[in-house]
Amino acid sequence: MNATAVIRKKKKWWQSYAIWFILPAFVLYTLFVMIPTFNSIYLSFTSWDGISENVRYIGFDNFKEIWESPRVHNALTNTIIVAVSLVLLENVVALVLAILVDQVRWFRNLFRSIFYFPVLMSGIIMGFIWMIILNYNFGVVNQLLDMTGLSAIKTDWLGNPDFALLSIILSTVWKASGYYMIIYLAGLQGIPQELLEAASIDGAGKWKQFRHVTFPLLAGATTVCVMLSMINSLKLFDQIAVMTNGGPGFATETLTYIIYKVAFGEGRQGFGTALAIVLFILILIISLIQIRLLRKREVEM
Amino acid sequence: MGQKAKKPITSGQIILFVVTLLIAILFAFPIFFNIMSAFKSNSEILRDAIAFPEGFYTESFKYLLTKTEYPKAMLNSAVLTLGSIAAMIVIIPMAAYAIERTNRKWTNAVYIFFLFGMMIPFQVYMIPLFKQLKTMGLFGNLGGPILIYIAGSVGFGVLLYTSFLKGVPREIEESAEIDGCTRIGIFWRIVFPLLGPVTASMVVLQGLGIWNDFLMPMLVLPSGQTKTMIVELFYYVGEFSSRWDMIFAGTTMSLVPVLIAFLSLQKYFVKGVSSGAVKG
Repeated sequence: MNATAVIRKKKKWWQSYAIWFILPAFVLYTLFVMIPTFNSIYLSFTSWDGISENVRYIGFDNFKEIWESPRVHNALTNTIIVAVSLVLLENVVALVLAILVDQVRWFRNLFRSIFYFPVLMSGIIMGFIWMIILNYNFGVVNQLLDMTGLSAIKTDWLGNPDFALLSIILSTVWKASGYYMIIYLAGLQGIPQELLEAASIDGAGKWKQFRHVTFPLLAGATTVCVMLSMINSLKLFDQIAVMTNGGPGFATETLTYIIYKVAFGEGRQGFGTALAIVLFILILIISLIQIRLLRKREVEM
Repeated sequence: MGQKAKKPITSGQIILFVVTLLIAILFAFPIFFNIMSAFKSNSEILRDAIAFPEGFYTESFKYLLTKTEYPKAMLNSAVLTLGSIAAMIVIIPMAAYAIERTNRKWTNAVYIFFLFGMMIPFQVYMIPLFKQLKTMGLFGNLGGPILIYIAGSVGFGVLLYTSFLKGVPREIEESAEIDGCTRIGIFWRIVFPLLGPVTASMVVLQGLGIWNDFLMPMLVLPSGQTKTMIVELFYYVGEFSSRWDMIFAGTTMSLVPVLIAFLSLQKYFVKGVSSGAVKG
């Protein structure tokens, strides 16, 4: 009798405090994330210009335009090129860096810090530095090419449509790989030394040890890194803003960049939100695949 | 480590070291180049980008700090970063604590609702948000971005805190409750200090993200007195397109706080990354 009374009293009390503890986060999150997200879905069916009071409903016209517009197709192609090459290059570079840091005998922490530091830089600053390094007249790259007698392959790295996207991709690999390196490094350090010793006693060389012991055991880290790098590559924005502004022409316009340009540069916010919904669906699909894969792994383990 | 040091040095180790060193030089060069160029005059930079500075040229720093809005922008960035973080580490752990400890149907629903936010990138809701801030009167002052940053970190923060709270035993809280301590008191005096590692990760990860953020502050604080450092630098790239010395000095000044924070809090930066890896 007494005990149940205590429990009932306790429950009521718990309930009231929980509401007050959750409320601030709930209000802010609803107001500044969820409401604008739902507004985005609504606006994607309108031809709103961002200023006028009357918002005209136009059905699926924006999505039809996305389906047909060559500029959007170009942006989607660029997004896919950026995503695929960043996922591959960042993960390969990150894994190599992690192995080097793990194996090197001296200055291990210093090397780890050096590889990691670019991650901490703003995309704007990093983009500016690379813009100057790649500058046609005064840049370090062309100066080095001149010094080594390779002037023939000199080009305006950011002004030439054939190289602009590549320049952005490679400088982003420089910036972001250190992040994934840390994740791989944690994976490498979790591998029991005995396994590698056993493989080596069985006559496996360094490559075979890596291929058949280390790499399979890094599968968890790899899944996380691949998914993270893919989502981050879809969100790439700062570097493009400072290095090329989407140009030359539309050569470096990606999905995130076209959303910004269409909405705030060209005053077509309805169309911009429709593009944003496409981005959202892409990221949602990737996130769901990631959750699936990670769950499956947990079951297997 | 200690065991390894006794082994003799092999040629393989030397090759490995040299390879690592070369790659490290490649990685460090752009940052070194940036800091070096900040101490060169503009004509020196244009004459020979790779050469070392001839003297210790500090005019660009002096100009930026006395003749431009840059000091104000630095202050804005600092206020924005510290203000958002302070509010985050009050609001988010409280919500996470209530969700984890109550564990009822409705709190689980709230939890799922919060987690959903992790999948929504800023670009998806930035266009309506822009208009919304204007109608709410939060456009062009630092209050708007602070609220947006807190709201944007709820999903990720609640995930981090709740998963950590699962490992924190309830016994102390229960005995404190019997002693008549209020729930707020229990949380702040007993639970919050135990959440130190998560709070450190949050401070480091979110602080860095806000300090470096560009798109949102550019949209919401486009001009005037409230521009942040990164936005100010972005405009310099356009305005001072031929005055690289100014921009190098500006980027150096923005990198220094990051460098100091990194060197003094290295452990937390590395830990923060591995906790950030859970984020989808």
